[in-house]
Amino acid sequence: MSISPDTPAALHLPAYKPDDTLMTRAFEAAPALHLQVQTLRRPGATLLQDLDIALPAGAVHTLMGASGSGKSSLLAAVCGTLAPAMHFEGAVHVLGRRVDHLPTRARRIALLYQDDLLFAHMTVRENLLFAIAAGPQAAREAQMTQALEEVELGGFAHADPASLSGGQRARVALARALLSQPQALMLDEPFAKLDAALRQRMRALVGCAVARRGITALVVTHDPADILDAQRVTHLAAP
Amino acid sequence: MSLCSGLAATLLALGASACILSTGLGLRTPRKHAALLPAMLALPHVAFALGCVLLLAPSGWLVRLLFALLRPWEEVMPWARDVPPPWQSTQDPWALGLVLVLVCKEIPFLLWGALAHMQRPDVAQAWQAQMRVASTLGYSAPSAWWRVVWPQLLPRMAGPLLAVWAYSLTVVDVAWIIGPGAPPTLTVLAWQWLQDADPAIRALGLVALVCLLCCTALVAGLAWMLYRIDLRLLAPVRWTRGPQCLTHAKGAKDGVFRATIGRCLLRTLPAGYALVAVALLWGSIAGVWLFPALWPQSWTLQAWQQVMGNAGVLGTTLFLGMASAAAALVLAVACLECLPTRSHTALFGASYVQLALPNLLWAIGLQRVCIALGWDASVWGLWLAHSASVWPYVLLSLQGPYAALDPRGAQLAASLGRSHGAYLWQVQWPLLRAALVGAFAVGFAVSVAQFLPTLFVGGGRFETVTTEAVALSAGGQRSLLAAFALLQWLLPACLFALALWLGRKRRFAQPPVARGLA
Repeated sequence: MSISPDTPAALHLPAYKPDDTLMTRAFEAAPALHLQVQTLRRPGATLLQDLDIALPAGAVHTLMGASGSGKSSLLAAVCGTLAPAMHFEGAVHVLGRRVDHLPTRARRIALLYQDDLLFAHMTVRENLLFAIAAGPQAAREAQMTQALEEVELGGFAHADPASLSGGQRARVALARALLSQPQALMLDEPFAKLDAALRQRMRALVGCAVARRGITALVVTHDPADILDAQRVTHLAAP
Repeated sequence: MSLCSGLAATLLALGASACILSTGLGLRTPRKHAALLPAMLALPHVAFALGCVLLLAPSGWLVRLLFALLRPWEEVMPWARDVPPPWQSTQDPWALGLVLVLVCKEIPFLLWGALAHMQRPDVAQAWQAQMRVASTLGYSAPSAWWRVVWPQLLPRMAGPLLAVWAYSLTVVDVAWIIGPGAPPTLTVLAWQWLQDADPAIRALGLVALVCLLCCTALVAGLAWMLYRIDLRLLAPVRWTRGPQCLTHAKGAKDGVFRATIGRCLLRTLPAGYALVAVALLWGSIAGVWLFPALWPQSWTLQAWQQVMGNAGVLGTTLFLGMASAAAALVLAVACLECLPTRSHTALFGASYVQLALPNLLWAIGLQRVCIALGWDASVWGLWLAHSASVWPYVLLSLQGPYAALDPRGAQLAASLGRSHGAYLWQVQWPLLRAALVGAFAVGFAVSVAQFLPTLFVGGGRFETVTTEAVALSAGGQRSLLAAFALLQWLLPACLFALALWLGRKRRFAQPPVARGLA
């Protein structure tokens, strides 16, 4: 009997549990991700003001709020993809290094959207290799294979992304983001297009991947069920 | 008459395109028929006009066919005998032949302009959803299209419509071949005046051109005003009349008649193009062919031997086509990549303004620029003139594909640590491969079809298949004329076929689930 990799039974992942001891130790040293927002403005309105979020390594912080409250814009400001019409004043530190003046590609902050944005002309393998830094081809292939195994899509390296289901595509997108070896991960409503069972699995997958690598994640969502750590939630008010 | 023929061609082409689109082309019946568009666009106006002449002329193929059909009634209709009829089916004083050629040639262009918008994933999805909503409210598919999609599409087609109107009013080569002869259209008159040795008459030619430019702008402005008035006063009444099929027995046929016309056109238009191609092929290999014989008495490849022996003409055409299409493509891609997205609308607007200029005025302008650069009557001047003429078409053919790109792709690649160059080479340009090679083919086709810029900037020293075809149209060498006209089509058609092959979708291996391995 073949099992679709999207069925809940196919992903045997432990539920994500924040390791408070590890986080406290890390936080005492220096926050892995530190956002200091003085103002975040769009033409005609100030979206955010005087916001300070400091996160230890391995933490998952959730940003919630009404539409237009500036959640996605904050993520864009952190990644350096803010629209030219918008204005951000503040600082972003990743592992103690100030990155807000750097171009997006030098920040080492990976981004995961609601849409998987897999490149349609590439196979799954090529999509993943795109994210791996240059080096010996054998090593890159090994990393790619390992990443695919991690998201339980081992046999799909040469598949057309269009032939995958929504859940499989989301997992490939996550694997691609993680392969770039980011120091922080930004997720902009990443589970919004998945059904309830898949959402649960993806949450567990993200939580485990973040904890295993010790990176910091910031999740923007409307769904309270997406909160992975109840201690780390910021509710943004509408402007 | 110039105004009437230009207006008639524009309005008929617009109406026919709308009827074709109301069948669901681009939304419900997307790919099969739209795939024929490049082949139709590749056929230059001059070649199409010459093919129509071979078909419609008093001794043309269609008249021969008519005579063959009427032969049993020869006693009743004594005029159906062994001499061509005395009617003027080409170069007619009412410009019917000219209007026919322009309508047939402009329909694919307008469809191309419309599909550029409709093939954007966001637009297509939104309009398909709106059509579905309208059908749940009781509208038939054609009725929903006319009330929901057409009002949104029409303002987006302002640019292509302006180009069609300007071209129809100011075309020289087609009007010279199939347009009225005595008197000719104002553009042909202006062309003749500009070639006169007398400066006073040349000045008259320039005045005529300025008049044509003013006419183009005035009528376009008037049409825009009428559209705004209609939008304010009449259109809301039309749109809110309600689904007639729920309340009226005949309401179910609302828009169906126009959709039926559209379906007929969708089938007959490619057939018409194929007929023109066959007429050109037939004409190029026919030897002695006395009237009213349906088939030639002898066949000959003499015309083709003559064409192939003329390597200079072929070489010039190929060089200009390739070089100008490449230059225009590089420039268009550079503009789209380097200029901020918000300025793209202005860029496309500027390219439509260029298309709206009278052909003759544009050619004279190019000639003056080349003279100022010291490049007149040189191959570099010709390359510059062709590149400038080709550029708007190349840019516009990239408009839809570039608009369909998700800007988040570049952000995502940057967040993965990749440079913008890596994103362009590995993601964006491979994704746009079909569009880029298609744009190159469009550029090549436009360059091959250039007549006035070649004539004016080349100073008569350079011959291309188009200048040869137009020059031969005034003479009696039917087979040579047909061979050059067919070549004028074959060259771009070959490139379009190559572009289709190069831009074909990648085939992927079957996923493991489908093979039962998961």
